[in-house]
Amino acid sequence: MEFIYYFGEVFTFWSFSLLLLGTIFGLILGATPGLSPTMAVALAIPFTFKLEPAQGLILLGALYTSTVAGGAVSAILLKIPGAPANIATTLDGHAMAQKGEGARALQVSFLASLFGGVIGVLLLIFLTPILAQWALAFGPSESFWVAILGVTIIGTLGGGSVVKGLLAGCIGLWLSTIGFDDILGTQRFIFHSSLSGGINIIAALIGLFAIPQVISMFAKGRQTQDMEVIDVKPHSLFKSVREVFSSVRALGIGTTVGSIIGLIPGVGGQIAGLVAYDQSKNFSPDRKRFGKGHPEGVIAAESANNAMVGPSLVPLLTLSIPGSPTAAVLLGGLIIHGIFPGPNIFRDYPAVVWPFINSMLIGQVLMCIFGLAIAGYAARIARVPPHIMAAIVLTLAIFGSYSVQTSMNDVYVMMILGVGMYFLERYGYSAAPLVLGLILGPIAEGNFVEGSMIANAQNGVATYFLMGTLNLVLILMVVASISYSVWLELRSSKTGLPS
Amino acid sequence: MNRLEHAIPAGVIMLVGLWVAWISFTQNPAEAFLFPRLISTIFLTLSIWTFVAAWVKPSEVNATISATTWMNILPGLIIGAICVFWMGKAFGFYTASIITVFTLISYYDPAPHRQISSWIKRILITAGFIAVMYLLFAMLLGVFTPRETLFR
Amino acid sequence: MKKLLAGAAIVLAAITGTAQAESHANYPDRPVMMVVSYGAGGATDFQARIVTMTAGNKDALGMPIAILNKPGAGGRVGWNWFATQAEADGYTLSAYNVPHFIAQSIKGGVEYSTDSFEPIANWGADPAVFVVAADSKFNSMADVVDFAKANPGKLTFSGAGLFVGHHIAALQLEKAADVKLAYIPNKKGGAGAMKAVVAGEVLGGVNNLSDAFRAREAGTVKILGVFDLERNSFMDDVPTMKEQGFNIDNASVNFRGVMVPKGTPQGVIEKLAATVPSMFENGRVAKRMKAGGSPMAIMNREEVQAMWAKRQATLEELLAGL
Repeated sequence: MEFIYYFGEVFTFWSFSLLLLGTIFGLILGATPGLSPTMAVALAIPFTFKLEPAQGLILLGALYTSTVAGGAVSAILLKIPGAPANIATTLDGHAMAQKGEGARALQVSFLASLFGGVIGVLLLIFLTPILAQWALAFGPSESFWVAILGVTIIGTLGGGSVVKGLLAGCIGLWLSTIGFDDILGTQRFIFHSSLSGGINIIAALIGLFAIPQVISMFAKGRQTQDMEVIDVKPHSLFKSVREVFSSVRALGIGTTVGSIIGLIPGVGGQIAGLVAYDQSKNFSPDRKRFGKGHPEGVIAAESANNAMVGPSLVPLLTLSIPGSPTAAVLLGGLIIHGIFPGPNIFRDYPAVVWPFINSMLIGQVLMCIFGLAIAGYAARIARVPPHIMAAIVLTLAIFGSYSVQTSMNDVYVMMILGVGMYFLERYGYSAAPLVLGLILGPIAEGNFVEGSMIANAQNGVATYFLMGTLNLVLILMVVASISYSVWLELRSSKTGLPS
Repeated sequence: MNRLEHAIPAGVIMLVGLWVAWISFTQNPAEAFLFPRLISTIFLTLSIWTFVAAWVKPSEVNATISATTWMNILPGLIIGAICVFWMGKAFGFYTASIITVFTLISYYDPAPHRQISSWIKRILITAGFIAVMYLLFAMLLGVFTPRETLFR
Repeated sequence: MKKLLAGAAIVLAAITGTAQAESHANYPDRPVMMVVSYGAGGATDFQARIVTMTAGNKDALGMPIAILNKPGAGGRVGWNWFATQAEADGYTLSAYNVPHFIAQSIKGGVEYSTDSFEPIANWGADPAVFVVAADSKFNSMADVVDFAKANPGKLTFSGAGLFVGHHIAALQLEKAADVKLAYIPNKKGGAGAMKAVVAGEVLGGVNNLSDAFRAREAGTVKILGVFDLERNSFMDDVPTMKEQGFNIDNASVNFRGVMVPKGTPQGVIEKLAATVPSMFENGRVAKRMKAGGSPMAIMNREEVQAMWAKRQATLEELLAGL
């Protein structure tokens, strides 16, 4: 209960101003395609040099929480996920926005974020020692199986044919191998020099989602004088609150999956939203409504994304192991201020760590308040005429993909993948499974290679990957997930209905 | 008719799959290509399946891109490509964006092109959007963009 | 029309030409960027951020240095980009890691070597150390080597990748102790390699002194030896490899510094070589580096050139058998 004592620290004038600033900028940065939470935190680190350690970390904590939630804004309104975490949000969120329900989608998303986020941070506060052990339990073999579990949901993710979903996933997996092999340094599939850096996930994400969008706006042409203007419906906040908290299933699955998967170093953050989305779809009685603008999809995805924030810091704070790129940047921020994370961090630096964690808790609330305040206005973006929207989205896509690594190569890749995706989409392939393949490829491969090297020095590959409780549990989940997809495909081919 | 339309993209994907598999299985060292070999095998199998399926059981979805649609898409694509592949680097990001946004808005704007007021509107939209981007990202946050000719 | 175009081209060339001639005198007149070939949050990244934080001061460059991360394949992605695509105008700097980039260029498959770059100055020297988990049964290098002798090829130990400082240290250890070890390169770099040690996935590991120092402060690892010529002031109690009877020199010490691409104007190089070392000597930089547990070693351009040449020779010999 020590943390309550340090709440006073957060409510001093300076700290609270920083917290406010961090939250507002976080929302803006998060909503900008290409500026991921990692980037936002990295951009802010130089500012913290000038601050006291506690205040610097309050700023970083607020930024981290609000950029994760802010990513939902562009995912819902523009169909561009701000970061890999927001892919699942686009699936239903954007469909809602196109029906004029943008305000509802945003409100639901921010409320679900608040719920998931607060639970996640509370887990961090109360269960850190237990969670740290859990995070360490995921070695190469376990992480490999988690990645494979992710691969198995590829087929059912797109909403179309399972085979086409898997094929899109394979294309994504292949794209992920382009570039230098991470361990051996061998060049693979570099058929043009701008590919030597490989395909950056965020640049690809922007291209695959934004560019098809832009092209279909072009396709409307200019003769549509009597353009259909989307009727943006206002939505009462009270209804959204009731809606979120009555979707116990989506909220529960989202928060649980988010906080469990978020813990796994190196895997969690990027796929938590997608796994939660897939699970709540599978468990939902009306799974057919998913992908067509079902609020539960947004709730599951966003509660998972934010539930992951707290637990993802557990390995960082207690073992000095950054579980995600953002955590790695935060580690840098801590070290620069002379704070070395470790098992005794709460004893050695309570005056810095508790305000940092508290700032994430309060940041969640502030983020939700701001988000709800702007939701109604932001939703009107849907009324911007397509010709203006196309130009704006294209510019943002170029800006975003360039600024990920300050490289024109990423912009070229973004553009080419995007144009390709426009045509693929017409033939029933969707972007989500492709991106999932791109994300999971390196995780699966890296852990397999590392695991088999260790295994070869010990008892062999089979023992290493197939023994141990956690491995077995994960393998069972993989088998269950595959069987479910096969069953769905068989049933749909029997009844002739698309699953 | 419909059969061909769905078989051609499936065929193209199958050819890509073949190419990937060929590269994966012929290049060395084998350890580095272990994972690509695994993927490309599945890739190829699935793409052959889709190709055969497209031939045997044609989809009912009509995916043809009509001539009018092509005519609508192409100008935008060309402007976008010029911006991405040439102007971005040659003129710098903000200058290239001004040109691209203005051309795109002007071309696709349904409002008549003979009206002065609609041109003013287009100029204002472009200026407003670029100003917001510039203030937020270049001035406030110092995000790097390609070198500038007009802006610093 | 053709004439008009040609005329325009000449005018354009004239403008850019004069602009370039001018740029030497008042270089730098806009912010400078520095490429770091490792991810944000890694040791190289965060040290680079600290040592460049005073670049905007009047007595330094007078313009801020922005850090850009281009991670991938143990640094190859970033340095390849830097050698082939970066503009040699002095506005794009890069951090170097020796022996990493030299070892990679000897191994081949990359588009750079020591000839592709011009060193400016060195800021840090981070020796490799051998770490084991805090609850490990090994208490000295002798314990480790004895185990390895009894179980050839079964002593798994992690490091940041292939052909980086940690790998060089691992090769030296194998050679000096005459045992077969199982070096497990980690694709997530030093942080990932440290996690493998702490989580007990491997029996030991080679890691950066700075990271190991922090991990030991945190109580998660024991440090058994330093791959350097003498003990380090951050950890007086840890003996060198030589003291423990293994003939290992400092070839694996990770030197970090700043370089520019070959072809950068001489005037710019001279200006940088004159100002950058004193920028590193700034008291605020030293304080932050010490707080972060990062050993500093400031060297000027000539010293770095000599160091590069020496490493090139040592590494060529060491890697000849691979």
